[in-house]
Amino acid sequence: MSKVNQDELFRVVEYSADAAERIGYSNYSYWRSVWHNFLKKKSAVFMAIVFIVLVVFTFIALAIGKYQYTELVSNRETTFLGPCAEYWFGTDNLGRDYWCQVWYAAQVSIKLALVVAVGEAIVGVAIGCLWGYVRWLDRPLTELYNVINNIPTVIYMTLVALIVGQGFGIMATAMIAIGWLVMARNVRNLVLMYRDREYNLASRCLGTPVWRVLVKNIFPYLISVIILRLALSIPGTIALESTLSYLGLGLGAATPSLGLLLRNARNFFLDYPYLLIEPAVIVSLITVTFYLVGNAVSDAADPRNHV
Amino acid sequence: MAKYTVKRLLQSLLTVFIIVSIVFVLMRMLPTDYYFTEEQQMKYDEETKHDMLQAAGLLDPIPTQLFRFYRGLLRLDFGESRRIQTGVSVWSIVAGKFTISMRLGLIAMAISLAVGVILGVLQARQKDRLMDHVGTVYTVFVNSVPPLVSYSLVLAFGARILKLPSLYSNRNPGPSSILPIACLALTSIAHYALWTRRYMVDESTKDYIKLARIKGMSSQSIMVRHVLKNAFVPLAQYIPASLLLTLGGSLLVERFFSVPGMGTLMTDAINRYDTNVVQGCVFLYASLGIIGVFLGDILMMILDPRIKLAGGGETR
Repeated sequence: MSKVNQDELFRVVEYSADAAERIGYSNYSYWRSVWHNFLKKKSAVFMAIVFIVLVVFTFIALAIGKYQYTELVSNRETTFLGPCAEYWFGTDNLGRDYWCQVWYAAQVSIKLALVVAVGEAIVGVAIGCLWGYVRWLDRPLTELYNVINNIPTVIYMTLVALIVGQGFGIMATAMIAIGWLVMARNVRNLVLMYRDREYNLASRCLGTPVWRVLVKNIFPYLISVIILRLALSIPGTIALESTLSYLGLGLGAATPSLGLLLRNARNFFLDYPYLLIEPAVIVSLITVTFYLVGNAVSDAADPRNHV
Repeated sequence: MAKYTVKRLLQSLLTVFIIVSIVFVLMRMLPTDYYFTEEQQMKYDEETKHDMLQAAGLLDPIPTQLFRFYRGLLRLDFGESRRIQTGVSVWSIVAGKFTISMRLGLIAMAISLAVGVILGVLQARQKDRLMDHVGTVYTVFVNSVPPLVSYSLVLAFGARILKLPSLYSNRNPGPSSILPIACLALTSIAHYALWTRRYMVDESTKDYIKLARIKGMSSQSIMVRHVLKNAFVPLAQYIPASLLLTLGGSLLVERFFSVPGMGTLMTDAINRYDTNVVQGCVFLYASLGIIGVFLGDILMMILDPRIKLAGGGETR
């Protein structure tokens, strides 16, 4: 290598105040990156559209159905009719229109799952942040976690149903009361990991208030995990609700839910498969699409996958 | 190690104690009418019922009852069933149900461990190829579709196409347990496959694997002798817990196929307010779960000499 060449390579740059202040990705926006990353996955976008269309359609389906759920009466002459022009999804063992029952049940399941997911997220993240950030809270909360986590969920929900009663509000509250644990645990582990990183120490030394450290410095790392947890929580809630309703401890006999439909269908669907297939397909579509979309959003939300 | 084990054991006992106490208090908050069968309800008047409750000590203040319950607990005596089989001790009811659940659970567990680990290994070896995608679709299906729906599908398939019995019966335990076992295994296969795959993929990018490859070891023996061996350690941690929990049976599977096991007993007991039986079951479930986690940690320490839990004391 000649001397001339090296001089060329290491030329002194003139100092400019403007250039010194410039940073790499000045127009970086967290949520725009999430959105861009998400749009790159065509299959996830498709799933998201299917999910939204289904949710919207549960409302439309009830509106365009020929029967209202509240006005259903049992009719001996129309039992076990297959899907036809009058009864789009056929009729059940009591001769009631199955279309409105299935869609109503799907709507109830979605509502419950969303309410529980939001509740879980709020309670779980709040407690998880405290749990991870406040040192002396770690011990009691860990013990509390161990105790609640070791009571089988179904037993707990059963006791609630018997002692408090059955109903949408009670069930949602009970599910949130136990569901925040997992969320809080995940959040706590992450907060614990990031709270003493150098940049947070620097932030604290500069006098940043605790809430700002939590919200601005740590929270962005949590979003991905929170979304992943939500993606699992919605299918989980629908599954738990159907299990409980099947055991007779769910929303009560007056509210049609997936579990109740399948419980009624249990004795008949070997002879009349449409009683199983219709609710099964709809609910599976809802849970599978949400699960996949949630996973994709969670990947997109992880700052490590950005830029 | 010994000190750590003792400490963990005491902690586990304390947790079981707290859980059982909470459930005891909750059960005592139910109205006393539930302590009688329908027949007894009609036969006795209010006064007789009151006397009976008094005699059984069910009208004492809750702390007194709790204290009496603790004394029974020390001898592992949960008293007698009031409604499921009146006058029979809780232990003998539980013992009968236990064997049924245990048989189904153990078979299902053996199947799912074998199939799940093999599926996971195949997926890890063929990462991003056909087998991996098949496995992933299966795991997504099991994780997101409600179990009630997947059990219904298993039932529809098994009963209509394979002509298997759709309900469990004690007279015909062989064929009639195929579908319940299939349902139990369905979910845990996905679980084992998922974790085997993940740990193996993690492990196979490590430096010592690269070295083994450079040395010229065949990928077959790298997989079996290095990767699988190391990937199995974190998996082994969950085996005792799931083994013990299978003994308790699955509430949904047992209800779904009318298996007269622990799960059915539990829901029956709660539905019919047989408090002593509920207490016994809850105690059993809680202790099985907690002992399982404890044994899992110990097993992991034995399998992998690098892991030392005693120092930190934090296992989670």
